[in-house]
Amino acid sequence: MCGIAGVIYKDKKTHPVGSALTSMLESLQHRGPDSAGYAIYGGLNFSENYYQLNIQVNRRKGTLDNLKSLLTQFSQIYEEQLIESVGDSDIYKCKIALEDYSLLKPCIREIDELDNVRVINGSHSFEMIKDIGKVKDIAERFDVLGRMGTHGIGHTRFATESGVDRYHAHPYQSYIIPDITVVHNGQITNYWKIRDPLERKGHVFESFNDTECIVHYMADKLDQGYKLEEALDQAVIDLDGPFSILVGTPNGIGIAKDKLGLRPGVMAETDEIFAIASEEMALHDVIDSDQIEQIAPGETRAYTI
Amino acid sequence: MGDLSMKELVIDAKDMNAKELNRIIKEQSSFHDKLIINNPESRHNVCAGLTEDVEIEINGSAGYFVATMVNGPKIHINGNAGWFAGDNMTEGELIIDGTVGDGAGQGIYGGTVIVKGSAGSRTGEIMKGGTVIIGGNSGYMTGLLMMGGKLIILGDVTDDVGESIMRGSIYVLGNVKSLGKNAVMENAASKDQKELKEILTKYGFDLTDEDYANFKKIVNMQ
Repeated sequence: MCGIAGVIYKDKKTHPVGSALTSMLESLQHRGPDSAGYAIYGGLNFSENYYQLNIQVNRRKGTLDNLKSLLTQFSQIYEEQLIESVGDSDIYKCKIALEDYSLLKPCIREIDELDNVRVINGSHSFEMIKDIGKVKDIAERFDVLGRMGTHGIGHTRFATESGVDRYHAHPYQSYIIPDITVVHNGQITNYWKIRDPLERKGHVFESFNDTECIVHYMADKLDQGYKLEEALDQAVIDLDGPFSILVGTPNGIGIAKDKLGLRPGVMAETDEIFAIASEEMALHDVIDSDQIEQIAPGETRAYTI
Repeated sequence: MGDLSMKELVIDAKDMNAKELNRIIKEQSSFHDKLIINNPESRHNVCAGLTEDVEIEINGSAGYFVATMVNGPKIHINGNAGWFAGDNMTEGELIIDGTVGDGAGQGIYGGTVIVKGSAGSRTGEIMKGGTVIIGGNSGYMTGLLMMGGKLIILGDVTDDVGESIMRGSIYVLGNVKSLGKNAVMENAASKDQKELKEILTKYGFDLTDEDYANFKKIVNMQ
């Protein structure tokens, strides 16, 4: 089933986006108990060419030392934190500097070749937080309530077609362009028709999850010069199956719903905020209004700041 | 909770889950004429399966499947409702002051679902009897696979109205963007207009005779 939520503050200033999204996702918890995640934009304030890495590290002795040893071949480690998580792994969060964005994905690939280590994400203008478990637990584990930002998207996952682990939790990120993320409720039924042309262009897929396919599709379109709303309109034409998708970019969020309107989506807006969610109950957590709009079949919206 | 000896009972649903709330509604329906539910907070399945002849007032919005499979109660929501409001109702009345999501009144056998605002897609799909009234607009495939009953839309409808309709009638006062397969549209006859006036007047919709003359009727093409 899955629950999706997004919020954007129109004044371009930072607000407690982590707290807002947590309230919304807790209201949507019944739509997906397996994992949850956030992409919170605008709160990192990194200088150019600085990146945050979130890396899953097995607690086996020596693993973290090996990881740090490799990382220092790419960059000085500026900030670091080890976040205790569930299972046999923790999350190592650090800040690094690279000469250019094009070095980020090769760096991630090399780290992934280490034993017992997997990079969850690397980002410049947003913070990715995702893990297995309930929203409340994840919010506490990663101190999400204190996260400030200008906008963000979030997800509670009911896994239907790929594994229940941190990596398959939403949001998904593409590195075709910097800092684009997607959360998704639904299934893409023409998955291979979308994936094949992207692979022929050289884009690398890490999983068989359809949400990963959507984020690469969107990133590819934006890379070609499409505006966010144009890319969303094209997605409605090209993607088959039931879906509601939310896209996060460094300066906005976008929504698209499938042509038959088979997955839910509602939105509400005030002078200060625009919010979107799978169900109305999540909107009431951030907007005090009964003026709820249903997203129509095939409808798209993009909000940029 | 208020005084149990009264005919009217106020229930604060704030800290209840849907199961607890429905259990209390069912228990108290036997002892009261009217239940007032505050802080519904868009919970799903509120009043599901209720069969008592009780009046329910919900102050706020309800989630999915509000009043699903009810037989008898009169439920009034002073807010919005999510997907599948009134699903499979056999008898009773569901009035929603705000808007509804997809599938409002789906599969009802009897009773009346009244939405003052607009509705999402597939309103009245597979309904077999009863009446569904939408005061505003209605979305994609309104009346999909309809098998009976009356579906009345006072606003506009979008594409594929009456898609694969078998029996029953869809009445539209506003614009019809396109018809679905198996559906044909004609002007509502004077007999239809009279029936519409009786139903709509009962529920407080104030239309002129000219409005009634402008209703279009969509039925199975055979």
